Amino acid sequence: MALVKLALRNLARNKRRTAITFVALVAGVGAMVAIKGFMNGQRRQILENQQRGNLGALQVHRKGYVANVLASPLTLDFADSPALRATLAAVPAVVAVSPRIEFGAQLSTPDRRPPPDDGSDLPEADRGQSSFLLFTAIDPATERVVTPKRWEWVSWARGQMPRAASDAQVVLNDDFAKGIAVPLWAAGEAVPPIEQQLAVLAPDRDGSLNGVNVVMAGTLASATPNDRRVGLMPLATAQALLRMEGRVTEYGLAVAEGADLAEVKRLVEAAVGADFEVHTWEERLPFVRDIVDTQDFVFGIVSGIFLFVVLLGVVNAMLMSVLERVREIGTMLAVGMRRRQVVQLFIAEGVVLGLVGGALGALVGFAWVSWMNARGLSIPAPGAKVPSLLRPSVDAAFLARATLQATAGAALASLWPAWRASRLRPVEALAHT
Amino acid sequence: MKALLLTFTLLPTLALGADPTADEILAKYDAVMGPSTFESQAEMTATREDGSTRTYAMRFLKRDADKFRVWFAEPASVKGQEVLRLGDNAWVYLPNLKRATRIANRDSFQGGDFNNADVLRVNYRADYDAKLVDSPVPDTWALKLKAKTPETAYDAITLIVRKRDLQPVRGEYYGTSGQLIRSATFSDWRELDKGFVRPARVVMQNEVVKARKTEMVTRTFKVNVDAPPQRFMQADLGK
Repeated sequence: MALVKLALRNLARNKRRTAITFVALVAGVGAMVAIKGFMNGQRRQILENQQRGNLGALQVHRKGYVANVLASPLTLDFADSPALRATLAAVPAVVAVSPRIEFGAQLSTPDRRPPPDDGSDLPEADRGQSSFLLFTAIDPATERVVTPKRWEWVSWARGQMPRAASDAQVVLNDDFAKGIAVPLWAAGEAVPPIEQQLAVLAPDRDGSLNGVNVVMAGTLASATPNDRRVGLMPLATAQALLRMEGRVTEYGLAVAEGADLAEVKRLVEAAVGADFEVHTWEERLPFVRDIVDTQDFVFGIVSGIFLFVVLLGVVNAMLMSVLERVREIGTMLAVGMRRRQVVQLFIAEGVVLGLVGGALGALVGFAWVSWMNARGLSIPAPGAKVPSLLRPSVDAAFLARATLQATAGAALASLWPAWRASRLRPVEALAHT
Repeated sequence: MKALLLTFTLLPTLALGADPTADEILAKYDAVMGPSTFESQAEMTATREDGSTRTYAMRFLKRDADKFRVWFAEPASVKGQEVLRLGDNAWVYLPNLKRATRIANRDSFQGGDFNNADVLRVNYRADYDAKLVDSPVPDTWALKLKAKTPETAYDAITLIVRKRDLQPVRGEYYGTSGQLIRSATFSDWRELDKGFVRPARVVMQNEVVKARKTEMVTRTFKVNVDAPPQRFMQADLGK
């Protein structure tokens, strides 16, 4: 304790130098906390968009569906029965159940002109184009409760969502649709003749080719990574295309705000039995894990450099302090102070510097993060074009870790100056001017 | 006729014991698997990863090197579907769409493991550069084919043919990143038309999803038939 008191007194002797070192530490740790808070907010934003825009809080599939090597096997389907929906809806905290089918299909745009009469080729620019897309078939009535963000994304782009499950319409990504110049059908207008409509071709549940003529009713603004080659189709239209009347491959579930998702998942699993599997939205998103891993790696490097630069300042300050106090150290050694105690004294100064500066920095960072969290930053999620509110956040564990890192770093940074001080020869040190 | 001619022109070289060149082997493959003008009937059975199978019956008509028609007869769900290929363009006609839609070389042919080019566009000499390589199978020649353009169905193919008569035995098909995506086993070599021998059975194994494979069995095959030009127009689809 005496050591700490002594360290504090020594730090107070040169207030300006100590203040400068403090500022560096506070700024460094504060910035680390702020960046971390921002990154956490970004991750939350991606996940929120996925939950409320793509997946729903929980997903129910036939057992083995998610692990299947094929991205979306139609054979692992199930009957969309009112009884099953009722069973799911009866689980506490389940707000809505929405039937879906995920399927791969080829979307073809029409040729821009009829074929020449002489049988020759249309010029390349006039030919229709085909693209492979991953479609999600949805029932607009139930889906609007489970993934309301889709409607928001359409409002940021063009057109509108289909109204009925049997509409012969699709909704595509806005960038994608512009890229291959898909014509937009404006609601209320006459539907174009079939040779000017879009064709969606897909293997049905038995693998035989089938197709449907559709128009593009609206487009989705990009809001989540990897969403350029996806489309939406009303459920009954897709069921006819895939020859899967009354059958679906997935239920998306909306869960009450604030409910414990893991607990609701357990209850849903118990309700549907062993033939089905249940996943939370986070479990379905391996790529979010990748984004987080990459961010953590970059953050590790950046914060490492921050800390290093700040600690160089600590080394410098401590070294100055040693050089200034050569005669004093000589005196201490002359009156019988151990070299070990000299080392301890200087390290104690470093620890106090790091602890106070780090804690202060963490507090400043936390204050900024809390303020921004309450206010919200209106910027797009990574890879998105639609602004949404980013709310930075950090947890107490990170604040503690940042403070601890600063303290340990400062202690480490004082090692060399402290060692130099302890190596002084009392006779020479006393004669030092 | 071309096939016969090629057989005759190749025979002397074989008889003399001189090794055929890569180009000669490839020409023979094209003549066997994609002769110029023919009509045939085939059955295709696709086995899917869950073990279920589905059999399709179809009729092919080819005119010259690059005009091709397919009519599907069975099962009921695909009855009335038609395919037309003209040069580099191909369309599928679906009766419930009441119109033709463009399809690409690399798309699956009727949900099986053959792609459209495998069926509609056997003209390897035009699409690939060939080179003789050491064969892993005794008494066979092996060719390594490299795609000439990115529009071809595969980036590379290994083709293995019998030394005896240059009939195909096996094909291995590689995708863009060099991975094996399909492999074909040819069997049941038969004289389907007078003087015209070819494998009546081809099994295409999906090497990505191993449980999937598709078998194509040729029931009848007639070369040098009458293939009226009006059959090879877009306007004829669905008629």
